[in-house]
Amino acid sequence: MKRIAVLVAVLGAVYFSGNGYLMNLCVVTALFTLPALGLSLLMGYTGQISLGHAAFVGLGAYGSAILCKSLGLNPWLAIPLATATATLAAWAIGWLVFRLRGHHLAMATLAFGIIIHVATVELKGLTGGQDGLSGIPALSFFGYAMNSDAAIFPFAWLVCILGIVLAGNLVHSPAGYAMRAVAESEAVAASIGIAPDRLKRRIMALSGLYAGLGGALYAHYLGYISPGPFDVGFSVRLLLMVALGGFAGIWSVLFGVLFVVMTSELLKPFGNYDVVLYGVLLVVVMVWCPRGLLDGLAMLWRGGMRMWRGAQAAR
Amino acid sequence: MSEGDCLYASEPLLRVRGVSMRFGGLQALEDVSFEVLRGEILALIGPNGAGKSTLLNIIAGALAPTAGETHLRGERLNGLGADQVNARGLVRTFQGAEILRNMSVRDNVVTAGVARCGSGIATGLLGLGRSRRALAALEKEADRHLGTVGLSALAGASASTLGAGQQRLLAIARALATGAELIVLDEPGAGLNATEKGYLAQVISGLRASGKTVLFVEHDLGLVGRLAERIVVLDHGRVIAAGRPDEVRADPKVIEAYLGNTEIVARHGPGAATRNGGTLLGIEHLSVRYDGSLALDDVSVRVAPGEIVALVGANGAGKSTLLKAVAGAVPPEAGHIALDGRDLGPIATADRVALGLSLAPEGRALFGSLSVLDNLIIGRYGRRRAAGLRELLSPSVAEREAERETLELVYGYFPKLRVRSAQAAGTLSGGEGQMLAIGRALMNRPRLLMLDEPSFGLAPQVSREILEALPKLAAGGVAILLVEQNARAALQIASHGYVLVNGRIAAAGRSRDLLDDPEIARTYLGWDGADTPAGASAAEPRLRVVG
Repeated sequence: MKRIAVLVAVLGAVYFSGNGYLMNLCVVTALFTLPALGLSLLMGYTGQISLGHAAFVGLGAYGSAILCKSLGLNPWLAIPLATATATLAAWAIGWLVFRLRGHHLAMATLAFGIIIHVATVELKGLTGGQDGLSGIPALSFFGYAMNSDAAIFPFAWLVCILGIVLAGNLVHSPAGYAMRAVAESEAVAASIGIAPDRLKRRIMALSGLYAGLGGALYAHYLGYISPGPFDVGFSVRLLLMVALGGFAGIWSVLFGVLFVVMTSELLKPFGNYDVVLYGVLLVVVMVWCPRGLLDGLAMLWRGGMRMWRGAQAAR
Repeated sequence: MSEGDCLYASEPLLRVRGVSMRFGGLQALEDVSFEVLRGEILALIGPNGAGKSTLLNIIAGALAPTAGETHLRGERLNGLGADQVNARGLVRTFQGAEILRNMSVRDNVVTAGVARCGSGIATGLLGLGRSRRALAALEKEADRHLGTVGLSALAGASASTLGAGQQRLLAIARALATGAELIVLDEPGAGLNATEKGYLAQVISGLRASGKTVLFVEHDLGLVGRLAERIVVLDHGRVIAAGRPDEVRADPKVIEAYLGNTEIVARHGPGAATRNGGTLLGIEHLSVRYDGSLALDDVSVRVAPGEIVALVGANGAGKSTLLKAVAGAVPPEAGHIALDGRDLGPIATADRVALGLSLAPEGRALFGSLSVLDNLIIGRYGRRRAAGLRELLSPSVAEREAERETLELVYGYFPKLRVRSAQAAGTLSGGEGQMLAIGRALMNRPRLLMLDEPSFGLAPQVSREILEALPKLAAGGVAILLVEQNARAALQIASHGYVLVNGRIAAAGRSRDLLDDPEIARTYLGWDGADTPAGASAAEPRLRVVG
């Protein structure tokens, strides 16, 4: 509760400062936090790798955009429908791929991510191909169109905080214990009455829900989507966000997202080569900070202090 | 006890009927039938490879049998998944305890109650107080179970800090938290010291007193004798005896199954080798510790060049640990290991192979998709690599000649390998696989060959064929350190023997003297451990050196 209060206070300060750049960063952070939370529930807590998570974000984004543009649905109806589609797709993919483990699972999810990305490029009639879809209607609230950073800021963060609270509830509930048991040993989980496959499918579906919702909101926020942001590179960035936070930790996901969003601002001059840096960063974090960047830095700090004190004592 | 109690006590809770299991060419279980009565403690025993773990996996729903049925309270279990079997009132523990190391001790037990508490993902997400109440109830219950096994003081500690004995107890508390009526324990005493085993026995007796039924697999016959009301004995996948402990203990078939009855026609008779050839392998005062428990305690063993030394003892006595320590796979806590007077301590595992040390590991560890010939040639790698990188890239004529000669030598010992040389190693029968494992170890031209359970899981006829080949190898100049469950056969081909009990050498001497000593069977089987909870005082008088 205290953390939420602090978060709301910081967000309030940003909102009322009226700084457009900061507000833009914050909205992007909120929209990326949703899929990253879903991935953390799946990877960090339930121990199942997914290298194709961008696909569920893409399904949410394209789903909602197409529903609005082709069928003329109201965004308020299109967003839940698109989210449900992503959820269902995640459940079905889970049903298909969770007979695999370890790197086989990684390969299957990676392939799924590529399939969805290629589909968004090639199904030109539906998705507009490389040109993408433009003119996606913005969400409006009693005639107040959320078509600017400032306008969508409160709503985006409302949804994001709700997502954080719900995910936090889940991991501290009995079901959260079951998830951690499955992550550690499926044989043990089964021996104490937890059905590992069913649980994994459901968490995958929940993870797809978070991703799809994030994608749908993103589409209506920007008003224009193209296949580019939903490629494998985005899956890797999501992975990095979760890894930076140490995989398991609802609040550390927020840190990971913030870190990646800010780094990508710094990396803009590098153009497409930013992916290289993300890759290097991911390897570094996985190898030296398996419990997250903050934890790794804290350990480095403590180690440094110990050495310094040792040097003092020796003197 | 009133008549009503008797009726209640004799009602079968679990019925195993005609269960058979086949893995490829291996018949792991054949027509196994027995019953577990409500409220009893039943022990399932048998030598290594008898099929106990397979049977347990079938009962718990982790494996589907090729034939037969299992019923709990008349309800069919086989065909259900492990979680559904648990939901019907049966819980199993694992050989390695398998605690969840990333959780606290209490959370381990809390997790076991989750499936029953009916609080799912939706409840968890919305967290409307219901999941919080469910969790509070689970925690209270968990503390009660931790009290039952005596781990209350450690409830908040991380499970990864527990010692081996505490892990077993935690596994039992976790089993209790599922609320199952039938508790199936897989080797609860493995790796525990005498004090821990004594406490474990109290806890298991307590389970029965609280109305649970216990089925347990155990190698420590002392623990079995102390706890079990009935015993079922498995050997080579069949039930060879069942009944009260005193009946089973006296059954000649059981003694035979444990000590082995394979009569070996030894060409290299026991005691034939004189021990004045010096020392090839010298192990002095070796101690090895795993996870806080002492696996080897002050063990000294000597192997002379060209002799066969047998290392016998019950499962978990530390035999494999000794071989691993010599191979360099586990670090010693104290003591020295020397090959030909050279201290092995600072030498890495891979380099020990080049010094002439080969290990044919337990379970053979063959490369199943490669051919027999390829498996043999891989065995040459260590020696060839030690001769320099050039030998790997383009072997010299001398090396190629040496490899061909060694191959011929191996084919000479095991002619079946020549016939099967192009066949994939995975398709070999158990006996041929073992021959290949030994052959592969020989490709390095070792001076010391270490064999870990070469007759494991093999039919008597096949084990005899393999064990009878060993004296021929020794005659060819290879010293052999042999670890065997089939103690009788091992001592028949060896010149010297060591009996390991709970990580210590309980008896040592010329193998002929060990074979003739009637006390060895008792020491080795460890039945008498039943009345000696304090192991140290009991082990001392039994330590004798024969011959």
